[in-house]
Amino acid sequence: MPFTDRSDLFGAVHEDGINRLVRHIMRQRPSLFNYATPFFHNNAELFCVKFEVDDKVLKAKNPLFTEQEPLPILGAPVPIGLNFCLQLTDAQLDFHPGNVFGLPPELGRLADQRFALRLKGCMGIDCPPKELIDELLPLIERYLVAQQQLAIGETKERVPGISTHYTPPSSAFDNRERERPRTVALPTRSLICFCLELYAVGHFEWGTVPGSQQIWLKTRLDGLEIVDIEPKDMESAIECYLTTVLKLGILPRLIIPLEKMVLDISKEFQEMGLTLGRTVTLQPSAVPADVPNNPAVEEDQIKAFLKLTVTGGA
Amino acid sequence: MADLTVAVSESAFQRLFVVLRDSIRWEAQDMTNFGPFTAGYHVKGHLEGGSVDFRADNSVLIDELDVRWDKFEFTLGLDIPEICVGGGCINMPWPIPDICLPRWCVFSANPDISISPDLAAFVAQELSVAGRPVVRYYDASIPPPVIDPCGFLRDILVDNSIIDPFPDHNQWHIHLNPDFIDLDLFDFADIVGNLIENALTAAVTALLPGGWVRDLILAIIGGIADFIRWLLDIPDEIDEWLSDLFNISFGLGDLLIQLIGEFFGACVPLIRVDDPLEVLGKEISTSVLLSGSPVELVAVTVPVRSLSVYVDNVEMVVQADIGG
Repeated sequence: MPFTDRSDLFGAVHEDGINRLVRHIMRQRPSLFNYATPFFHNNAELFCVKFEVDDKVLKAKNPLFTEQEPLPILGAPVPIGLNFCLQLTDAQLDFHPGNVFGLPPELGRLADQRFALRLKGCMGIDCPPKELIDELLPLIERYLVAQQQLAIGETKERVPGISTHYTPPSSAFDNRERERPRTVALPTRSLICFCLELYAVGHFEWGTVPGSQQIWLKTRLDGLEIVDIEPKDMESAIECYLTTVLKLGILPRLIIPLEKMVLDISKEFQEMGLTLGRTVTLQPSAVPADVPNNPAVEEDQIKAFLKLTVTGGA
Repeated sequence: MADLTVAVSESAFQRLFVVLRDSIRWEAQDMTNFGPFTAGYHVKGHLEGGSVDFRADNSVLIDELDVRWDKFEFTLGLDIPEICVGGGCINMPWPIPDICLPRWCVFSANPDISISPDLAAFVAQELSVAGRPVVRYYDASIPPPVIDPCGFLRDILVDNSIIDPFPDHNQWHIHLNPDFIDLDLFDFADIVGNLIENALTAAVTALLPGGWVRDLILAIIGGIADFIRWLLDIPDEIDEWLSDLFNISFGLGDLLIQLIGEFFGACVPLIRVDDPLEVLGKEISTSVLLSGSPVELVAVTVPVRSLSVYVDNVEMVVQADIGG
């Protein structure tokens, strides 16, 4: 059957292509998928999961991860924290029929016109050894006592052994930033790592938005499941929170107005130096008049159907 | 199944072809002196007719596209040196006024003789071309052959800023390889048809200034002119049919044009796709490091594999895979 039997222009992307594209991005922009404290620049072997990096990233000396402040130790009188890393190690998409990965039983079988997403993330947090805590505790206590003395008007005392301010090495640093104290990470020898797998199922739909005359393409979340978190209520609470974040926080930002999907071919030709006497546009085929689903999620692909419209002129 | 598929229907191509055809117009004029001679031209034209047909043998036929001239004027001029007789004055003694002879000059204008015939009504061309898309892989690491006619042609086109130079990285190239080109330099069928139609239309319009009777007669004249065009075009139709059948142009001129077309088709790609293809450009980020120092992140590229283009009788399909 021809691709364009129901439209003028047809475009499709296979799930294998998208998943391969994601892997290329992971290898060439590792900083989008790995987050860690600066400590990891010299201790990359401590990452929870080793990740592949393209040679050109190493050659260009691009950072392998996005730097994060250490995880603050709540209640500590000085800004100290723990080194940690957060890695998105796997991201896969599966268009109906599901065959790239199995869905957890809670989400059931992947239904028609649905897509599934699998994300695997790992987090590693430093666990300071008992000796270090024993070493630091007297200093903290002494600092707290010194602070109390300061509070009642006694002389300021500098506590030896604890640096409360991190001075960044870069000279190109904003003055306000320089004044802000940075959290100092405690020395780290090893991390405790754990990984979680998240599965989500969703679909696309056309609809209106109150207060707008436009038609919008919306991505909808049908279900979400985090595998193997105990106790069950904690799993449910986290899943509920993530579902709410996705439904109310992230997906509403991804809605696309129909007008944005219309390509003005006349304008494209004009940029090439040829003024067309008529207006030629490419716009999505109507649902259900032209096609039953647009975009359609089927045969392991996402498919878009477009029609060419010529208006104006003779 | 391919990772990426894009298909365009024949009907969409046909509609776009009509819009493009109606939008393409050209005009040029110039004048040059060669000593006493002057030569110039003023041409203005547009395209008419023609059709696009996708065929099951992986080819596209653009059939009987007419090149029409609104002005096809050539000027030839001759500037003859000025010749003057008379003039001058005879001084007479006072108080008799001087006697001045009248002066007569010929060939004072520039040019003195000029002819500018407008041949628009007698000039019309018709183009039919069939070709098929061919995909080739350009490997930048392979040195060009010692004798490289394609490289010679490309260098000329690059030097004249007609095409971009070939890059230092690999590319997929989509060429259009012509099967046959039929260019009728003098489309007699249309020239005669137009002349008859114009003459009869002018006569009828002079006799009947308006009304439905005139419209009816003009419609009949149009039909007769079309019939004459069709009748006179039969030999050319046979020529095109044979060319299409044997995939070769008949006639010395057409053969030459086909050879040039094939040379261009083989050497100059219509579309180029970088391999690897950039999907995320270089980016200067200030959010990767805590210090906020700018970092230039490298571009993200993906290898393009198995690029293919094919045509059948309903659509043109482009497919490609993303390499691992």
